[in-house]
Amino acid sequence: MDTAGIDPLTGFLDRHGCLRNAARLTEHAHRDQKPLSAIWVNLDRFRKINGSLGMGGGDAVIAKMGDRLRSRNEHRAHIARMGSDEFLLLAPAHGCEEAASLASELLQLIAQPMEVGAMSLYPTCSVGVASLEYAEEAESLLQRAEHAMHEAKRQGGGRVVQSGDEQLPGRLGIKLAREELEVEHKLHAALQIGGLYLHYQPIVSFNGRIEAIEALMRCELNGEMVPPVKFIPVAEKTGLVIRLGEWSLMQGAMQAKRLSDLGLPTKVAVNVSRAQLTAPKFSQALYAALLCSDVEPRLIELEITESLFMDVSELVQSNMRAAIAMGVSLSIDDFGTGYSCLATLKDIPAGKLKLDRAFVVPLPEDRRVYAVVKAISQLGRELGMTVVAEGVENEQQSCALQDAGVDAIQGYLHARPMSADAVTGWLDHQAALLKA
Amino acid sequence: MTTETTQSPSVEEIYARTVLDIGIPPRPTILDILARELRSGEPDFGRIAQCVSEDVSLSAGLIKTANSPFFGFRVRARTVSHALTMLGINIAGKAIAGVALRNAFPASPALERFWDASARIAEYSGHLVGLLGVREGIRSDDAYTFGLFRDCGMPVLMRKFPAYRDTLLRANANPDKRFTAIEDEDFPTNHAIVGCMLAQSWSLPEEICLAIRHHHDFLLMQSGAISLPPASRRLVALAQLAEYIHQQHSGMNQTEEWAKLGMASLSTLELGQVQLDELAAQVVAHSAQADIE
Repeated sequence: MDTAGIDPLTGFLDRHGCLRNAARLTEHAHRDQKPLSAIWVNLDRFRKINGSLGMGGGDAVIAKMGDRLRSRNEHRAHIARMGSDEFLLLAPAHGCEEAASLASELLQLIAQPMEVGAMSLYPTCSVGVASLEYAEEAESLLQRAEHAMHEAKRQGGGRVVQSGDEQLPGRLGIKLAREELEVEHKLHAALQIGGLYLHYQPIVSFNGRIEAIEALMRCELNGEMVPPVKFIPVAEKTGLVIRLGEWSLMQGAMQAKRLSDLGLPTKVAVNVSRAQLTAPKFSQALYAALLCSDVEPRLIELEITESLFMDVSELVQSNMRAAIAMGVSLSIDDFGTGYSCLATLKDIPAGKLKLDRAFVVPLPEDRRVYAVVKAISQLGRELGMTVVAEGVENEQQSCALQDAGVDAIQGYLHARPMSADAVTGWLDHQAALLKA
Repeated sequence: MTTETTQSPSVEEIYARTVLDIGIPPRPTILDILARELRSGEPDFGRIAQCVSEDVSLSAGLIKTANSPFFGFRVRARTVSHALTMLGINIAGKAIAGVALRNAFPASPALERFWDASARIAEYSGHLVGLLGVREGIRSDDAYTFGLFRDCGMPVLMRKFPAYRDTLLRANANPDKRFTAIEDEDFPTNHAIVGCMLAQSWSLPEEICLAIRHHHDFLLMQSGAISLPPASRRLVALAQLAEYIHQQHSGMNQTEEWAKLGMASLSTLELGQVQLDELAAQVVAHSAQADIE
């Protein structure tokens, strides 16, 4: 039997089958001048369900959702499964109002308690509705329904949103979503063909010692730079951030090994995101990176934001303990920008504290900021940490920071972020200066 | 050298030891040169050919790959330059990585068997693409390269932890748990993650790295989750099928992986049990013919 285009779990059309069908229904609706509506249904908290019941449990929930949709399909809607927890109903002869009423019925139907194994679930869903506009193509209709569904989800789930009622309605919202998709595509492509690379910015102590070089990710595709402010949020949203984080760890470790082999042993600081530290495989990936690069663990530092150190989850804590046990050091990144809790600072197993640039920009004029920097520096030193200030651009700032007791600085004043080759040359030059 | 027993030390103790006590294969310089040339947009074939030619076994490996039957070239490559032109720089890059991988580890009798099995699975995987067609952008050379690198984390861990072989035996015999879960019980990492990192450091394509990372993840394979892209899913399925055919044909049945991943692999490749037997016969015959040639 030809099962292409059919989802094996629910027996509905799959995404490909649905797209073909949508094109056909749209064509008929325009030809017969009849309405057509798309209703996009997404189960709320499905990841949590999958996490607690396992993949098999997740599949059972989806199969039951499918049965519910099928059981009440007297409206003769064409149903498709568009993704792991997403369904699309294409309802011919349904205008805006009929579609909205059908969507509300679906919302209630899905909200009935569901028995899966020994557990009772109370599922909810987010629903987006769009009705075909004059000369509109199927793709655009589906996009509008999906966009409305995302808005329903953004508003907390368990509700219906009509296309056009979103905060960034219709096409403008879709345009932004499309931009995100493009960035996601670029990221994937960059990972694929080597468009991702690390730049390194030195952290220099006031006594001239190179404390470390911080690895900063760059993405370039077809000669065009994609700035981190654009690709990092997309990576975080799509889960790609874990893979990118592993990639950085490996590349950073390889650079540390290269420098060490060249007789320029320098600590490489790699940023670690929340998504990485809350992933169960983090410590294994870190160990594998150390193993494969053959680098001394003391040459690797993980920069972790302050809020993660405060995270009480066992996974985060055990991942950090494992990193320390491997001989890797930790530093507190962006200190002072979140909810700093001085009481817990004493328990943080970090050797370095990095003051956010927000404390540097107002210097040297702002004496109140200066007082805070001085107090933090003293506290950091008492706790045995090296205090680093980020974003230092001029001599005046540098002097004020030194005066306040900061140990090292990072910023354009010393060096911009550089390519792997350039930073190697820079380190070599610094080493020669020191010898001289 | 560190000696370890099956009464393994705790993970914390293992962490506490430096990881820097064995030589892990560094990325061969030729791969750096290739990556640079690829990024430049206008690769200099002459320069690449010259670098490859400096290493006799790399040259021989590249020419052998270009002449292997699943590429189906009528003419036979005689020189490195010729092989590079025939394969194109992308495929040549993967072929070079495959040859360099085996060269990177010192020869030992135990590893010989491992490499031979890997090479056979790689070859069968390549043949399978020839029979099933190119889908999700996965060509014979991709399947072949993945077959070679799929388990490359194992020799790394064998050299690091002598007790790793015992763990492998237990993992091979376990019909229920994920293979890597057994490794995770004894060691701070597993061969899938190490293999993925090694492949990444050797600049292999991302879909191959991800497939290495998840090739024992039967729940992920069964679920159809998008976190494993279709190209990587196809690579895992092809190599799993190749391994099954190899084990059936050679009489070696050392793993329980087909029981865990077989159905999902067949479904990914859109194959039924009937087609499987026919396909296995074709792959084995194809391979035997290639051996004669």
